[in-house]
Amino acid sequence: MAYRQGNDWLQAVRDVSFHINAGETYGLVGESGSGKTTLVLAVLRYLGSKGSIISGDIYLGDQSMRALDDQELRQMWGKQVALVPQNPQSSLNPSIRVGEQVAEIFRYQNKLSEPDAKLQTLEWFQKVRLPDPERVATSYPHQISGGMQQRVLIAMALSISPSLLVLDEPTTNLDVTIQAVILDLIDELISEQNMAVLYVTHNLGVISRYCDRVGVMYASELVEEAHPKELFSEPLHPYTQGLLDSIPQFGETKDRIRLQPILGQIPAIGQGPSGCIFRPRCPVAIEVCTNRPSLFPAGGNRLSRCHRWQEIALDDISVQQTPPSIERQQKGMAEGRSQTLELENVSISFPLQRSLNDFLRGKPRKGVQAVNKVDLVIPSGTTLGLVGESGSGKTTIARSIMGLQSIRAGVIKLHKVSIPDQLSRRDLETLRQLQIVFQNPQEALNPHLTVGETLRRPFIRLLGLPRSEADAKVIDLLEAVHLTAAYANRYPGELSGGEIQRVALARGIASRPDLLILDEPISSLDVSVQAAILNLVNELQRDIQNSILFISHNLAVIGYLADQIAVIYVGTLMEIARQSDLFQPPHHPYTEALISAIPQIDPQTSHLPIHLDGEMPDPVNIPTGCPFHTRCPRFIGEICANTAPRWQIDPRTEKRIFCHIPLEDLLSSQAQSTSDGTGLE
Amino acid sequence: MNSISKSSNNGLGVVPSWWRRLLQFFQQLFSRPVSGFGTAITLVFLIVALISPLIAPYGANEIIVADARQPPSNEHWFGTDNLGRDVYSRVLLGSREVLVLAGFGTLFAVLFGTLFGLMTGYQGGWFDEITMRIFDSLLAIPALLLALLLLGTIANSKYSVLLVIVVIYTPIVARVVRSVVLAVKPQGFIETARLGGESRTRILLREILPSVIPTLSVESALRFSYAIFLVASLGFLGVGVQPPSPNWGLMVKEARAYVTLIPWALFFPAAAISLVVIGVNLMADGVKRLMSPDQID
Amino acid sequence: MFEKILFKPKVRNIHFLILIIAFGVLLQACTGEPSTTQEPTAEQERQGVLRIALQPIVQTDPAFISSDPEVLIGSSVYDYLVDITPQNTIAPRLAHDWTVSEDGKSYVFSLIENATFHDGTLLTANDVVWTFDRLRDPQVDSPTKDLYSNIESIAASDQFEVTFTLKESNPFFLYDLSDNHALIVKANTSDPISDFMGTGPFKLVSYNPEDRLIVEANGDYFLRDRPNLERIEFIFFNDQTAQVEALRGGQVDLVLLISTDLYNTIKDEPGLVPLESATNSFDLIRLRADRSPGEDPRLMQALRLATDRQAIFDLVLQGFGAMGKDTPIGPMYSQYFNEDLQIPQRDVVAAKQLLADAGYPDGIRLEMHTPDTGNRPNLAVVLKDQWADAGIDVTVIIEPESVYYGDDVWLDVDLGITGWGSRPYPQFYLDTMLVCDAIWNESHFCDQEFDQLANTAGRTLNEDQRVETYNQIQELLAERGPTLIPYFFSQLGAISDKFSGFQLKPFPGRSDLAAVQLANQ
Repeated sequence: MAYRQGNDWLQAVRDVSFHINAGETYGLVGESGSGKTTLVLAVLRYLGSKGSIISGDIYLGDQSMRALDDQELRQMWGKQVALVPQNPQSSLNPSIRVGEQVAEIFRYQNKLSEPDAKLQTLEWFQKVRLPDPERVATSYPHQISGGMQQRVLIAMALSISPSLLVLDEPTTNLDVTIQAVILDLIDELISEQNMAVLYVTHNLGVISRYCDRVGVMYASELVEEAHPKELFSEPLHPYTQGLLDSIPQFGETKDRIRLQPILGQIPAIGQGPSGCIFRPRCPVAIEVCTNRPSLFPAGGNRLSRCHRWQEIALDDISVQQTPPSIERQQKGMAEGRSQTLELENVSISFPLQRSLNDFLRGKPRKGVQAVNKVDLVIPSGTTLGLVGESGSGKTTIARSIMGLQSIRAGVIKLHKVSIPDQLSRRDLETLRQLQIVFQNPQEALNPHLTVGETLRRPFIRLLGLPRSEADAKVIDLLEAVHLTAAYANRYPGELSGGEIQRVALARGIASRPDLLILDEPISSLDVSVQAAILNLVNELQRDIQNSILFISHNLAVIGYLADQIAVIYVGTLMEIARQSDLFQPPHHPYTEALISAIPQIDPQTSHLPIHLDGEMPDPVNIPTGCPFHTRCPRFIGEICANTAPRWQIDPRTEKRIFCHIPLEDLLSSQAQSTSDGTGLE
Repeated sequence: MNSISKSSNNGLGVVPSWWRRLLQFFQQLFSRPVSGFGTAITLVFLIVALISPLIAPYGANEIIVADARQPPSNEHWFGTDNLGRDVYSRVLLGSREVLVLAGFGTLFAVLFGTLFGLMTGYQGGWFDEITMRIFDSLLAIPALLLALLLLGTIANSKYSVLLVIVVIYTPIVARVVRSVVLAVKPQGFIETARLGGESRTRILLREILPSVIPTLSVESALRFSYAIFLVASLGFLGVGVQPPSPNWGLMVKEARAYVTLIPWALFFPAAAISLVVIGVNLMADGVKRLMSPDQID
Repeated sequence: MFEKILFKPKVRNIHFLILIIAFGVLLQACTGEPSTTQEPTAEQERQGVLRIALQPIVQTDPAFISSDPEVLIGSSVYDYLVDITPQNTIAPRLAHDWTVSEDGKSYVFSLIENATFHDGTLLTANDVVWTFDRLRDPQVDSPTKDLYSNIESIAASDQFEVTFTLKESNPFFLYDLSDNHALIVKANTSDPISDFMGTGPFKLVSYNPEDRLIVEANGDYFLRDRPNLERIEFIFFNDQTAQVEALRGGQVDLVLLISTDLYNTIKDEPGLVPLESATNSFDLIRLRADRSPGEDPRLMQALRLATDRQAIFDLVLQGFGAMGKDTPIGPMYSQYFNEDLQIPQRDVVAAKQLLADAGYPDGIRLEMHTPDTGNRPNLAVVLKDQWADAGIDVTVIIEPESVYYGDDVWLDVDLGITGWGSRPYPQFYLDTMLVCDAIWNESHFCDQEFDQLANTAGRTLNEDQRVETYNQIQELLAERGPTLIPYFFSQLGAISDKFSGFQLKPFPGRSDLAAVQLANQ
């Protein structure tokens, strides 16, 4: 398949063949530019006017897609292929009630009468385990949560009993805990019907758990196909191996292992090299690789597009580079180290606008309690990982430290001296010491300034250097983040996501801040690039000895990078522990659920994830007592609902847990679960 | 030691200086037929406006009794009007009236509008509310009506018309600029600039303004075409201009009385108005297309 | 993007849209111009509605009207004591007969006895006395107060008889009594501005100053054979081109007072009858003689020398009129017009010299005001071009008539162009325009010798003496008068051929509308 740009055709998908049998789940893995999205669009007949299938065909059963005209395509194809999309919000019509949208399908497709369609709708809502189906049916999409929207879309897709179900990153935008629930729900439902499922994702853990076969796509080609177990334990293509190496596995930490990024960049569409498309980045490329390899059968239903697959299979060559091990002292939590940053009892709330009615009645303003009485300490030179799902308040905390968000109560101290919570009241020296890298690389740099112009500002403004000196320092800075001096004259539009993030990092450390905050810095990057950034962060910290506050929802990454980890839920801290201790019991029940929700690649472990009931509470109405009590699988009774817990400190590990349940109980119960390999239900 | 300057050529990534970029920009405008046509017409008229006193064969009010009411001929390419004045010369000289007035009016409107747009968009608060409400009420009144109202209260001269153009078009430019500022303001690099201790002026001019420029360019070109039309309309109504000024609108008005006898005296000034307005609009279209880069679906 | 697969557009929305559009169309159809309905006529002979396009009027009180539209309206609603024919002779109206004493100082008028005002009351001598007393009352301050200052007394010698006694003899007294302002108003009218209480052939139906004034036939008019029309609508237009376009388009039936250019576009138009009348109407250009720069007579002379009259006549008038000699006495007054009077040809060099002598060696800048009607805008532009050759740089300022006349701009500015209507006798101009304290002395001219001559000409009963005096006046004005009068123009207009009986008088406002009737009758 190819796209037309101007007068050129850019090849998006090249020579891809695979089949999916009924009742089989086929996973398609690929990063950006791999062509998987194009493929999915084609299967759904949605390529648009600028794309087309150049050669080859797509078959549904015996029916060829290209043999049909538009009308037939719509009727036949549309009834047999269903989609669960990535972003549920934009797939629902915001001005029509949810129930109506679903019922419409029944009326149109199955020709049901109105009352019958309504009944069917409610039935399906129950099947997808929506709480209070009646209420959901009468709600508008924006009135229900992302998880609920996704369930609705699942219902819509499955209700037409398709022969092919396409899942396009269905849980990427959802919180980790919800993700687990949705994925299991999908799994359950598809096993009831004998559908073929095409599962598109970049998350290797998900693939491992839910797919029967996996295809790996890279830069428009299919490079490997195998059963997930085989694929992840013994990959037969250097790219697959590279992917595996670059993702922090459970239990790996920065002290022991350096992540192995795949060097180089994914080629832009239509600009691949001749010969093997992975050749420029392959650590074992040889002469023969200048000829394009075909998809070799590699024994037992496996396929590999690599000339040297046999050598890899026989372990004659190793694509896996043993990362240098690093002997490091593990940093203690508070011994002999000065404090860079301290948050003392910080609470932040956003006042809501009163309705005219309330205003006239003199009712006080309601507020969203975003952060509630948080105490944090970051010792100098260490990394604190702050992990929480969406709406937990972690970004709010970061912004308040930076001075972009005013706090309602509490104190922020930098080097034991309290600093004003408003940016305008802080002096330049304070600004110099606090820097942040934001989440979205697309917005991180001014598109109209060159990299050099952007990078020299901190030197000029915060360090007071003259321009010539600053320019010289910019070169050094670029080298520190492994970019050549030539980058100084480039505009952000010419850089890839990874390169932009490096520049943003460079800007962050330019003033040699004492605290660098990183807010989800790698979430929008490709997997193969994430590793490089993580390595870079570590390297810089080694050089500058700055403290880092690393914010993420990805517990695996935090587990790799942080010295100390804080878990936050709906504005309240739930647990604070050293990295080495967090993943061992006793856990706070929420932490327990988070850990279990991480999909594992390693096929050895196969524990069932803990499902949390219900949804994240609405921040306007935070539950009384322990905020987690509405969903806690270890809910012990009224005390959880009425009284706020207190901090319990585990004497062995200095772990702090915010829970009513005594630590010994947690310890014994959780130690047992991990040995069983079963989760809590 | 490498000094990073705008025009340095470091092998990878040549950065042209800003005037070279402007030239490139115009090249691109000319490359497409429709916008090229519009740009060409606009440029031609601008040049004519500049040099018209040099190339007009007759004066604006040069009355030649013997030649009165003649159709187009070799001596008078556009014919003569009822008083024996050469229509061609009047159209040429009129371009100066119309384009200079409209041009300067637009320039000042864009300047003030950008200033207000930047400040209200960035500051927000009471200043923003009050200013935008005032601007909204000005915008609610149709331009021509507002012009007549204003000109009724102040002296009826060219400078009044200039002032009127500025008053009428500043609000919409401000509004457009403000909306761009609002879109740019929450972006990461703006916050980072603030966190880097940058002064408000620097943020407005160096961080925000460059994002405003594309939209502003399109808007300026559009405003120019509207301003030209406004000046011609006011001339047609006889406001802000006195005979024998070769203002095209006024020429149309005067020629109306005897259009059945001397149609060319009305046709050519009217055609001039249409042509230049269309030309500027097409050019604005071209600018707009250039500013939104092509993307693969 | 995937959402399009999942649901189709709502049918309901389209229905709603159609409803809204239909509603909008309905609204449009309902509003719009109400069709003119024919009122059922009381008497069958009166037919036809005449629609006249006019400049908007300012004055409705007869004592203060002056423009042609104002006079036209006034003379349809009121009557004069005596009227002036198209041939400039006196005709009876409300007065059917009169006698003049030997010494010319006593006039006795016999009034029609069956004339009634529109409210039914009978016209008597009291009304006439009241009207003229008002017109000569200094408190009322009508422009006619000087005109009638010569009246010693007015008395109602009988119910239908009025006696005027003059201080001094006035050969033109009958014309004076037929002055535009001298419409007979009901005695003791409290509100002459809006009463419209007259004896005239038409009576007021409605008056909307923004739109039109409507009158309908007066069924009890004392002349039984008129009016012939059922109704007249005086429709106000600010723009003369619009008036002509309306005539062409059939929205009006009569336009008057138009420029030569406009006349040329409609004189050959089918369905229209062109109206042309040689008159003593003129446009004058005057410089204020009582202050700088006009107080130096060389300035005016320079302006005159810089003027090419032939060019103006050819370009602006295109032959519809006669050349002027800077005096208000034109060829229409054949007995008084001095044909042999010489005026100098255009001499730019001499003009420049005069300016230099007067202290303006590098030329002079002047602002010239002019109303926006008739040929005057074109005249201004042509003069600007001609005078530029002599170093006189003129900025033309064109104003609406309601501003130029209504706000008395014309009496105030240094340099202006004013249009003067045709009068039955030339003395009128001298007395109202040029004598020292004349009411309309826009040039503020004051010359003792002139005043003496004017007085003589206006008093003497000796015709020969009058002719001789007028000659002297013309020579004086040509030499050092404050006015430049390049031409006398014909009055131009056009009427739809559906009507007949319209006679254009030299002062178009005095044209008799009561005589107009539908052409097929």
